Amino acid sequence: MNPVAMLLADSRFPAGSYAHSLGLEQAVAEGLGTGEVAPFIAARLRLAGRADAALSVAALRCADCAAGADGDGLAALDDEHGARCPSPVLRDVARRLGAQLLRSAATAWPHPAIDRYRSASAATPRPVALGVVGAAAGLLDVEVATVALYDDAATVASAALKLLGLDPAVTARWLAELAPAIAAAARAVAADERALGAQPPPAAPALELAAARHASREERLFVS
Amino acid sequence: MSAERALRVGVGGPVGSGKSSLIAALCRELSAGVRTGVVTNDIYTTEDARFLRATGVLAPERIVAVQTGCCPHTAIRDDITINLEAVEELERDQGPLDLVLVESGGDNLTAVFSPALADVQIFVIDVAGGDDIPRKGGPGIARADLLVIFKTDLAPYVGSDVRRMLADAAARRGELPVIGLALTQPPHARAVADWVREQLRAYAADGQLHSSVAGASHPHGHAHTH
Repeated sequence: MNPVAMLLADSRFPAGSYAHSLGLEQAVAEGLGTGEVAPFIAARLRLAGRADAALSVAALRCADCAAGADGDGLAALDDEHGARCPSPVLRDVARRLGAQLLRSAATAWPHPAIDRYRSASAATPRPVALGVVGAAAGLLDVEVATVALYDDAATVASAALKLLGLDPAVTARWLAELAPAIAAAARAVAADERALGAQPPPAAPALELAAARHASREERLFVS
Repeated sequence: MSAERALRVGVGGPVGSGKSSLIAALCRELSAGVRTGVVTNDIYTTEDARFLRATGVLAPERIVAVQTGCCPHTAIRDDITINLEAVEELERDQGPLDLVLVESGGDNLTAVFSPALADVQIFVIDVAGGDDIPRKGGPGIARADLLVIFKTDLAPYVGSDVRRMLADAAARRGELPVIGLALTQPPHARAVADWVREQLRAYAADGQLHSSVAGASHPHGHAHTH
């Protein structure tokens, strides 16, 4: 097990994800119950989580990250993210989460790839940012995919504690039970050698529509 | 050496102690000559930002609110990335600014700002919270660069002894300053505004300040002005 991957997946790594529920707050406001949170997390993993993990792996593989070329490859991946994420609300969420991750990673792993991407990209979508950080930190494809998927699930589980009255050990059990699915999905994403554009882009339109309703709420605990 | 960015002053303290009112009063006092922006960390609504905008002391676009997902102390101390992004965005969009005030979400007595977010910080308590608060201590009361004991005009009505609160606070804080004030009584927030101007002068002269909170579990490092 790579301690660097653990550090990146640790909620104590300062990347600001504690302010996000990744759609759970709005889902709860619209009637999602305690028993449906684990299926919600699993659905995110199959759809948004999987799509984001594929982007992170593509960014990690991007020659520009490692070799220090002009970053055109990463700019293309920013566009790929925009194409997969039509919701302006979720694009902005991804931009903020990416910028926050890059800010702390630039101190944790001083590396020209991080500095270059921070100054070149206005969009800094979190999945691409995670791939760039993974490259700077020396992660493998499967590690960065695991971090992407686990972080998605753990962020929702952590938000569930604040939104619903729950035993924290129970949310830990949800993650434990999802662990095999996370590992299998990470292996599948890492094994896919096709270019990103040739891979099927899983999408979750219901989450995109709910994000717009969430952003217009007067009262909310979470950014997303 | 002149500073490349605005001075960042954290304003923390328990819920209801008067952080937003003090910030509004400060903005009013400093409106001539100090280009100010505010970042609020609300708990559930954007009430603090709305209150400040309603006071009309600053242009609405100079006030931004961030959500902290139930973690107000995390957002100012353990993981400050959300606030750093907000401060830099505010400076980029509205700058150049001389001063950015970062208001924490109302929290408990242990919440202080990371020195990486706030160059110096003000901790605000009030007489209605109980006159034993300075004795209870905690990092905010003991080490904030400035301690404000607010709403002193209410003391007779809530049975608090302001003199004792000031003396207890002074005993806890060594050389660090304490100001008692009420917005209903002259000189209002003047003393706090003067303290902020002092920090602005020192920051402009040195390009940095050393907060008494930075890197110490007890008073006291130096370079800020008392």
